Amino acid sequence: MIEIEDLTVMFGGVRGLNALTATLPEPVTGLVGPNGAGKTTLINVLSGFVRPTIGTVKIDGENLGGIALHKRAAFGIRRTFQNEQVVENLTAGGNVTAVLDNVPTDRRPRRDLIEAALGFVGMIPKLHVMGADLNAYERRLVEIARATVGRPRLVMMDEPGAGLSQDESEHLRSVIKGIHGYCGAQVLLVDHDVDLISATCVATLVLDFGSRIAYGPTTAVLADPRVRAAYLGVAEESA
Amino acid sequence: MSDVTDETLTYSLPVDSRKVRLKWLMTALVAVGAVYVLSDAMSNYWLRTFISAAALAIGSLSVSVLFAQLGMVSLAQFALLGVGGWFALRVSHGLGVPFELAILAGGVAAAAFGLVVGLPALRMRGLYLAIITLMMAGAIQVLISAFGFPDGGAGILGKSTGARVMMARPFLAQTDEAYFRYVAVVLVLCYGLVLLHVRGRPGRAWAMIRRSEVCALAGGVHIVAYKVWAFALAGFLAGVAGGLLAGGVGQLDGSAFPASQSIMLFALTIVGGAYSWMGPLIAGLMLRAFPALLNDFHVDGNIATIVFGAGLLHALMTAPKGIAGQLQDAAKALRAKFPGKPGAAR
Amino acid sequence: MPDFMPFFVSGLATASTYVLSAVGIVVLYRASGVVNFSQGALGALAAFISWSIVERGGPEPVAWLAGVLVSTSLAFLYGRALAPRLAFSDPVMRAVATLGVALILLGVMGYVWGELPRRLRLPTDTMSFELIGVRVTATRAIAFALAVLSTVAVMAFLAGSRLGLQMRALANNRDLSALLGVPVLRADGYAWIISGALAGVSGILLADLQRLSGQTLTFAVIPAISAAVIGRFSSLPATVAGGVAIGVCEALLTPVPVVGPFRTAVPFVFSVVALLWMQRKSTFVYR
Repeated sequence: MIEIEDLTVMFGGVRGLNALTATLPEPVTGLVGPNGAGKTTLINVLSGFVRPTIGTVKIDGENLGGIALHKRAAFGIRRTFQNEQVVENLTAGGNVTAVLDNVPTDRRPRRDLIEAALGFVGMIPKLHVMGADLNAYERRLVEIARATVGRPRLVMMDEPGAGLSQDESEHLRSVIKGIHGYCGAQVLLVDHDVDLISATCVATLVLDFGSRIAYGPTTAVLADPRVRAAYLGVAEESA
Repeated sequence: MSDVTDETLTYSLPVDSRKVRLKWLMTALVAVGAVYVLSDAMSNYWLRTFISAAALAIGSLSVSVLFAQLGMVSLAQFALLGVGGWFALRVSHGLGVPFELAILAGGVAAAAFGLVVGLPALRMRGLYLAIITLMMAGAIQVLISAFGFPDGGAGILGKSTGARVMMARPFLAQTDEAYFRYVAVVLVLCYGLVLLHVRGRPGRAWAMIRRSEVCALAGGVHIVAYKVWAFALAGFLAGVAGGLLAGGVGQLDGSAFPASQSIMLFALTIVGGAYSWMGPLIAGLMLRAFPALLNDFHVDGNIATIVFGAGLLHALMTAPKGIAGQLQDAAKALRAKFPGKPGAAR
Repeated sequence: MPDFMPFFVSGLATASTYVLSAVGIVVLYRASGVVNFSQGALGALAAFISWSIVERGGPEPVAWLAGVLVSTSLAFLYGRALAPRLAFSDPVMRAVATLGVALILLGVMGYVWGELPRRLRLPTDTMSFELIGVRVTATRAIAFALAVLSTVAVMAFLAGSRLGLQMRALANNRDLSALLGVPVLRADGYAWIISGALAGVSGILLADLQRLSGQTLTFAVIPAISAAVIGRFSSLPATVAGGVAIGVCEALLTPVPVVGPFRTAVPFVFSVVALLWMQRKSTFVYR
């Protein structure tokens, strides 16, 4: 459960987020909005990379404000990036191990956890392949595997669907839908691909100019005229 | 900073392949044999040179750990060698402890020294670390030339007014030949220590940090803590190297630790190849054996400095992987010409 | 209680050479992104060349001009011919490359001239005047005046001239400047020239004030860089203040009994304090 309360972020004079309030309980939630709406800013606040000027964010009832940056992963906040951040000179297994070093393992043997994570995304055959030798989609999957080890609570994905083939897109959808069942984590999905959002997200939050303009079941939200106006503009009544 | 592709960062150590093990075992046996044969075959002068070269290889290893794993440039490692040597001598003369403890003391002291001094810069851009370490080298140079090295006397500085006492050699290695083998063993142990780090938790964290700060933080890595760990490891290695140098020559000269030597150690590590295990060995050889060779031919030692400076420039402009990298590329090219079994090890 | 005034005056003079060198370093860094670790070595070479010409009986003005010309041309040559060829574009590695230049110059100077104790003599050494009870040699006064003049001139140049504007554009964003039509190589080249000239002047003066030694003069780059650190590699006034503080502090500590030998740690201490001050609001920047 993500609880955002009156969240405001100022970048100098620009309001990145403007008194945003929202409660997101669904297993997979979409986060959409035109460019500059504040989607990445919101995710950065959750990751801890940006400090809010006012407001709080709570995950499962716990206020994130007091949690140090490097401890958020252990707390359960995980993320995949728009520009993938797979370590090239570690293997796929090594990449997952690197995160496993810093998160709770519940005393289970590490090898099991690594294989489970890579198995979930379908990357077991690439366990010993160096990051440098993985293609773009495989790297995305390794990032997702890294994000699902060790008791994650929230997995945030920043435009994971960009540049994928048809097959890869379908596989990605099934992975995203499966995350909650696999490890119990909520997913917050930022993407411009409306089809991906519709296919995977139960509910969607729409931002524009740092504020919330709509939240609700995905189909209803995407059909909302206010949302359409935000993306496409409003037709001017001729005088 | 992601202009440099991570391909160059593969710390070329054994990859998971059974076939590699056999090759490495054979290389190791040959190396051991060479060390034994060489130590008996060399003249005293060259024996001493190679002892120093081996100790300096450990110094170069300390430079390369920081550079290859984290992209950190430390221009103070040779100065930290001096600090380690100082403490090793002081502890050995003052407390009469076994040689091994003395060099451990040197290692710990150098690690602490390096940390205290480098910590302010570890949070900042790499350029500041390079600058701070250069200044550290300069400051240590003056301190060492002002205070000299302990040689059996009393007082804090341990300077004797009478006859200078040589550092006690290890119990197992009193002769030069034996000491050379001893240093070679310590060299291997140091490589082992580095390997343990690189293949383990610190190595993975360092790789994440190298990828990007964002990657490391999102993965739960405490960046400053792991940078500190790397810096402490590098300081420790440098200190141990200093202790070994002291044991080799028996005493250290207060004028032998100018800041320019720290720069040369860094330069030669790059030239030798910071990203490969061979690099530090090549660097150690160049730093000691090359000037010794020039000496044999009665050529001015300054020529070495010029060559090293030019070598650094050349390496940076054309061959960032250094000599070791070029050797590996050549080996790879040769293997491509003669395709052996499929899946042959790298 | 030793009389600190003479030390203060001599400290001000050495500080002036640090300032000259540091201004060169900052201008170059701002225009090209390179921290020139060979600034001191270039100055040392200029000093040696001047000295050699005078030793052979050449006229002094020619000697000084030749020295500064050599440091300027070498800096320019490196900046135009070698610096662009670096495989790394990371600022640290480009700075490290200048260490290679420093080593080469050190080796050349050691080979040609060796490390004999020498002093570069300037005609102004013998002229002096009284100022608040202290004897100030003309050389020291000139060093100070040159430092002030060159700083003011450089600041005016950067603020007022077209080339200065171009250099500031380069410092801000090199690629964007190129897109906008700023003559990047030309502006860059001039930055290396200014930096090299300042290095030469600084080296000749310092060789007179302290000693003509390749090692000493080359590593005089350390206090200069420390001043640049204090100026955060961007603010010339702060750099000047830093250089003066370092030079004066170093000198004032000389007669102090226990701390004396540690005075060479002054640049280091100042830099560390500056760095800690810069970090006081630790903000993580997400790129």
